[in-house]
Parts: sequence; structure tokens; C-alpha cells
Amino acid sequence: MRPVTLLVVAALIVLPWIDPDKFALHILSLIAIASIAAMGLQVLLGYSGQLSIGQAAFYGIGAYTSALLTAKLAVPFPLALIGAGAAAAIASLLMVPITRLTGAYLAVATLGFSIIVYLFIQNEEWLTGGSYGFIGIPRAELFGYVLRDAMSSYYLNVGVAAIVYFTFARIEGSRFGRAINAIRQDADAARASGIGVTLLKSECFVIAAFVAGLAGSLYAHEVRYLAPNDFTFWKSIELLIMVVIGGVGSLAGAILGAAVVVGLPEYLRAIGDYRMLVFGAILIATMLFGEGGLAALFATLGRRVAAVSMRSASKLPPGNEAAR
Amino acid sequence: MSTTAEDGAWLLEARSVSRRFGGLLAVDGVDLAVRRGSVHGLIGPNGAGKTTLLNLVAGVYRVSSGMLRFGARDITQHSTAKRARAGIRRTFQNLKLFGEMSALENVAIGLHAQMRAGFFDAVLSTPRHRREERSIRGQSMAVLHFVGLAGLAHVRAGALAYGHRRLLEIARAIVARPTLLLLDEPAAGLNVTEAAHVSDLIARIRHDGTTVILVEHHMDVVMRVCDEITVLNYGRRLAHGTPGQIQEDPGVIEAYLGRSGENQSAQA
Repeated sequence: MRPVTLLVVAALIVLPWIDPDKFALHILSLIAIASIAAMGLQVLLGYSGQLSIGQAAFYGIGAYTSALLTAKLAVPFPLALIGAGAAAAIASLLMVPITRLTGAYLAVATLGFSIIVYLFIQNEEWLTGGSYGFIGIPRAELFGYVLRDAMSSYYLNVGVAAIVYFTFARIEGSRFGRAINAIRQDADAARASGIGVTLLKSECFVIAAFVAGLAGSLYAHEVRYLAPNDFTFWKSIELLIMVVIGGVGSLAGAILGAAVVVGLPEYLRAIGDYRMLVFGAILIATMLFGEGGLAALFATLGRRVAAVSMRSASKLPPGNEAAR
Repeated sequence: MSTTAEDGAWLLEARSVSRRFGGLLAVDGVDLAVRRGSVHGLIGPNGAGKTTLLNLVAGVYRVSSGMLRFGARDITQHSTAKRARAGIRRTFQNLKLFGEMSALENVAIGLHAQMRAGFFDAVLSTPRHRREERSIRGQSMAVLHFVGLAGLAHVRAGALAYGHRRLLEIARAIVARPTLLLLDEPAAGLNVTEAAHVSDLIARIRHDGTTVILVEHHMDVVMRVCDEITVLNYGRRLAHGTPGQIQEDPGVIEAYLGRSGENQSAQA
């Protein structure tokens, strides 16, 4: 593990003891949840090069599946969590025929799918509660221990986000990771090397949908009330903005992006209704100052700091001589 | 040409293959028989259909009519990836490297079909994942050595010099030890020294047991390394034979140099 990663993990573990503010922990939970879905989209878009503007569909399927399983069928939370991911992953198999599409055509097809899912949630009141919303979702519960306070659900959400992060970090430098990168960079050359492009693209869809489903489940048990409006086109766009602001192709970037998109409006209440406007502006600025997003910005800053400290370190010997 | 694919003399047989693009018949009923273990040249003026024929063999396009036999298999309906897995690999005329990956990773992609590890192997770092990664690294480095790029293994492919990128394409195509290698103008844009290096490389690839189909404009490369040559003109097969026979074929001379009568009158 890199020192930076270690530092962040340690900070996330001790943070609730330093500042056990319920509201702050709740926001951090929401950031962790969003970052899970964003990391899935990062694998899909940043790694395999497939643009989906319909991830809210899988997020929604996960949320309602988990809500139904726990509230109506009394399924224990850990099973409901996995079930939510699985339901979203199975739904994503409907995307298999469209992975042959690329670019704008693919994006529009995913949008179409998310609209269908939204309409389903909105209209099938007997199942989802429709526009009245889904109420009475129980709290998350692990091994018989109900996560009542903000701190324990913070650990659950951040914990799952960390598992997703370290899982996806393994993709880099593997046969699977190289192959999906190859598909993004040149699908023809990938085919000519014997890579089954359609199969791998579909796998990426399933992976992204699975974690979006997990995120949906965590969201359902964090806020304990679901409404169709949480799963519109805008949610998909928010996830896309997280990935782009954070830096396309960077896993850590997806988390940074989630922190900005979820955290900023909460702390800048004033921007409230204008938040999409603000994100639009940030998005344009990100595009102007390089496609690497926040992740690249931080990396550059890090290198600069390192270079400056190196330079000052190398200046020391002559300084010592002068002192003598 | 009395032998057939079944008794193993021919590795690849194209029987009267055609490819139509709208109103244009880019390849028109061409027969091509490539002897196992040979270097087979595919030459002809610009627009003769050489690259199209190569793409038909690679599976980028399906034939409009005709059939393709690879060894004992009918591959007419196989996809590019399936043909690649069966042992047909290629390079591209306009270089299609993975620019953001290192030279080593580019070559590693060539080994994709030889390995099995998937997403879960990577995540769990299974013995299979670790064993395969070791093997990929070893084989890829060996091939980079073979083409002369060992020192540049960790350089981003997009940052390599043009000549090196040409070699990297070849490295990626041969790392899986294909039965048939399709080279689409591997010496295009190279200087005389670099082209000679490519000729040498092709000879060594053939020596290692890979059959080669070579599309090339550098005639010195073609004449030096090819055992047999097929000449295309306007999508049809104009001539077929050894380099010596081709150089003396009146039809070929005419296609390349214009009518011999005109030449003579111009000289007079």
C-alpha cells in the first residue's frame, strides 16, 4: 500500500473519534456510497472506455431490491446487500446486446434503459410505493448488531467503499485490466490480438452495475426512505460528473469527484438549487485545465512539492560549507 | 498446385474470394495459396486490393463470396478474434498500438488469448494470476529482445520513435508464436537501414516456423525475403510465382511501369 493510501485509510478510521458530529458522518457516508457507484462507472468509462449515462438505473434497482428484501421479506441486511448487487448485475445483462454500440449510441441506449427503470419505479406502486416513496426501510444490521448511530453506519459505508476501492485497484496490471484498457485504446487491435471485445465490455457493465447495486442498497439503509426522484437521469449525470471532475481513468479520482459532488452542496447550502450550475462550471474548468481532473491536479502538486523539497535538500551541502 | 490443404502443404487457401464495397469490387475472385513455412509476398499498385485481401484473411471484413481455409479448418465465417486465437496474427499499415501502455504491456496484450486469468484471479491474486503474469513478462521480454526493443520495454508506446513503433507492432503480433503472420507494409516509412532490419527480422520469424504473408512496397524487402509472390491489379490476381518469375513477367512489368511500347517510344 502506498503511503498516501495508508494515510487516508488511517484518517478515515480515526476521524469519527476526532469529530463525532452526526451530520458530518452522515455526509461522509453519502460520499462513500456515491464513490462506490462512481468507482464502478470509472471501471466502465475510464478503463474500458464505455460511456454510460444510465448508472442511476442500477443504483435504483439495488436500492429498491434491498428495501424490498429487508422490509417486506425480512431478509438479513448482508444478504440483501449482496442481493441488491446481484439484482443490478442481472439487470445489466440486458445491456449485453448494446455493448456492440460505441460512443454516443451506447450512451443513448443506457439513457433509454435508465428511463425505463425510472418509469417502472414511478408507476409500479404495489411494489415500490411509486411517487409516495418507499418507507419503513430497516436500519442496516451486521451479525445481529443493528447499526443505530451515525458512527457505525459510517464504518459500514466507508468499509464497503474501501473494499470496492482495493478490489478495483487490483485490476491494474492484470490480464483483465490490460485487456479492457486495450479495448478502450484500439478495439480493432485488441480483436486482432484475440481479445473477445464484446464479452469483456459486458463484464465491465456487470461489474459496474453490481457495485452500483451495492451503493443503492447502502443508500436505502442510510436514508431509509426512497423516492423515484432519487433515481432520475440527473443521478446518472451526477455520477458521470464525479468521474470526470475526479479524473477519467483514476480510481482515487472517482472518490474525490464523489466528495466534491456530494459534499460541496451540503456545506455550501447557499448554492442549493444552483448546484448543477456550479458543477457545470467546475466541469468546464476541469476540461479546460486538463482531462486528468482532480486526481491529476493532486498528482502534479505532489510532484511539484517533491521537486521543491528535493531542490532545497540538494542546496543544503553548499549552505553548510558557507556556515563553516 | 496439385496438393490440397488436407495434406498440409498449404497453410492458407483463399478460393476465388471477392469483396464488394457498394459498387466497387475491391477484391475480385482471387485465389491465394500460401505454402506452410514460406514467406508469401502480396504486391501490386496502389488500390490493387492487397490490404483488403489481408483484411479478408484477418477477418476484419467477411468475404462477399468465396471461401477461406486455414490448415484443415474452414474459417470463412470466423471473427477476427477467433482467427487470432486460432493462430492468425497481424500488424497494421497505420500502426495500431496502445499508445498509453508501455512497450512491454503492448506485447503482453498479444498473449491475452494464451492465458486464462480473469477479473477474480486479479482481485484475489490467485496462483494462476501470478504464474501467468510471470510467464507473460518472460515471454514479452524475450520477444522485445528478439526485435531489438528490450531497452525500451518500459517506455510508453506513444512516445516511441516511428521505427520502434513498427517493430513493436511486429513484436505484439509474434509473441504468441502464430502459425500465420500477416504483415501490412511493415517497412513503410522506414529508411534503408531500418528496412533491412525488418527484412532480417522477417527471415528470422520464418526461421522460427511462422508462415508470413507480406504486403510491402519496398521491392528490395519483397525480393529478398519472399519465396513466392502473388501480384494483384484492380482486385484481380495478375501473376503468381517466385520472385525471379515475377520480375520477368511481362504483365507485371506492364502494370508497374506502364505499357512497354510506350516506354520504348519515350526512350527513343
